[in-house]
Amino acid sequence: MVEAFAVASGKGGTGKTTSTLALGMALSERYDVTVIDADTGMANVLFHAGLADVETTLHDVLAGDEPATAAVYERFGMDVVPCGTSLDGFEDADPTRLRDVVADLAADTDVILLDSAAALGSKAAVLPVVLADRVVVVLQPTIPSLSDGLKVQEYAATYDTDVAGMVFNRVTDDENIDTIAAKAERYFDGETLATVPESDSVRAARRAGKPLLAHAPDSAAAAAYRQAAATLDVHAGDSAAVADRFRSAVVPADR
Amino acid sequence: MKLPQGRLVRRRVVSDPGTALSNALETELTGYARLESQDALLLDADGVGVLTFEDGVPVVAYHTGTDSGGRDALADIAVAGPYRLELYELAADVLADVHTTRELRVPPETPAERLASDPTLAERTREVAPDGRCDGATTKTDDEPSAVEAFLDDEEKIATIQERARAEAEERAAEWDF
Repeated sequence: MVEAFAVASGKGGTGKTTSTLALGMALSERYDVTVIDADTGMANVLFHAGLADVETTLHDVLAGDEPATAAVYERFGMDVVPCGTSLDGFEDADPTRLRDVVADLAADTDVILLDSAAALGSKAAVLPVVLADRVVVVLQPTIPSLSDGLKVQEYAATYDTDVAGMVFNRVTDDENIDTIAAKAERYFDGETLATVPESDSVRAARRAGKPLLAHAPDSAAAAAYRQAAATLDVHAGDSAAVADRFRSAVVPADR
Repeated sequence: MKLPQGRLVRRRVVSDPGTALSNALETELTGYARLESQDALLLDADGVGVLTFEDGVPVVAYHTGTDSGGRDALADIAVAGPYRLELYELAADVLADVHTTRELRVPPETPAERLASDPTLAERTREVAPDGRCDGATTKTDDEPSAVEAFLDDEEKIATIQERARAEAEERAAEWDF
């Protein structure tokens, strides 16, 4: 039984990777979770999960050099599939293989989280939104971020991918977040999963190469992500059906 | 609003309009920033956001697509990123006429709050702004909703964003063969 989520924002700097790993760790208390760094052009998960020095990454799998299982690392209670950062690795990678990677890993997990590219400007960047069952939209309470989040929702709808909910991230005290979240909910199909305060712990965790929930489990931001995970109602579909859907998804011929 | 072109001092593509403000502040720019959207989603695809500066401090804001000025222009500029940013230097006396146009003026810190959501940058801007600079600007009253709330109250603007995003997504899905 598995459900795949794309964690997307439509814009950089919203804390997508932090959110992906935080949700993953929180969900791992109830589910088998696999986090895949699907942002193949600007990989980040490896730095957040202490995997910067690993030999095999998703790039090698997408290049056809390694099986998907060779890029899976058990860290912080999750299976983590990091992507490499080299330009060569990116150029050799065939993004269309992502669907096979997801299909292979779907057989053995309950929840797949796809950390998605910041912008929706290419086929490869949109692929996680196409493949996923639902999208978690990471927003900052700003006009550019909300407008990009609405854009992600419209893209998702085009591919029959639902919105599971929104995470308002990097929220500062001077923002009237409850009012903003309530107003935003009128336009988004999902509910607000959590509002996560701006926090120095997030930067410290990134420097330490650890997910927020491992580095600062008692922080207010970590508590907010645990609440988001508790609010997220996972609809685990049949693994075989999900795997088939990934394999049969129409894939882009180029980037 | 008409301005002579001036001397180009910087040109780059940015996703955060706050870059224009921090660049201008750091270099104490007297002149203007031109923010042209690189995204087809822009409410008015031909529109360009213009912000003028005096010694690095924002003075007026204008959006050519919606013909809006002051705080309204900031809201129109905010939804448009990523941008091609160009910073131009101009003599202060060339800007004098534009700078006395009340409906275009903005309080010094407001662009940092509205475009960049950056309280630190807003504070730094306020610190270097000359005394009395807020006079004559289109100011906000305390019970007025924030820019984000006002944006979310504007159903028509959001419907336009949704319609354009949907059209773009459908067009790309067809083009990409998804």
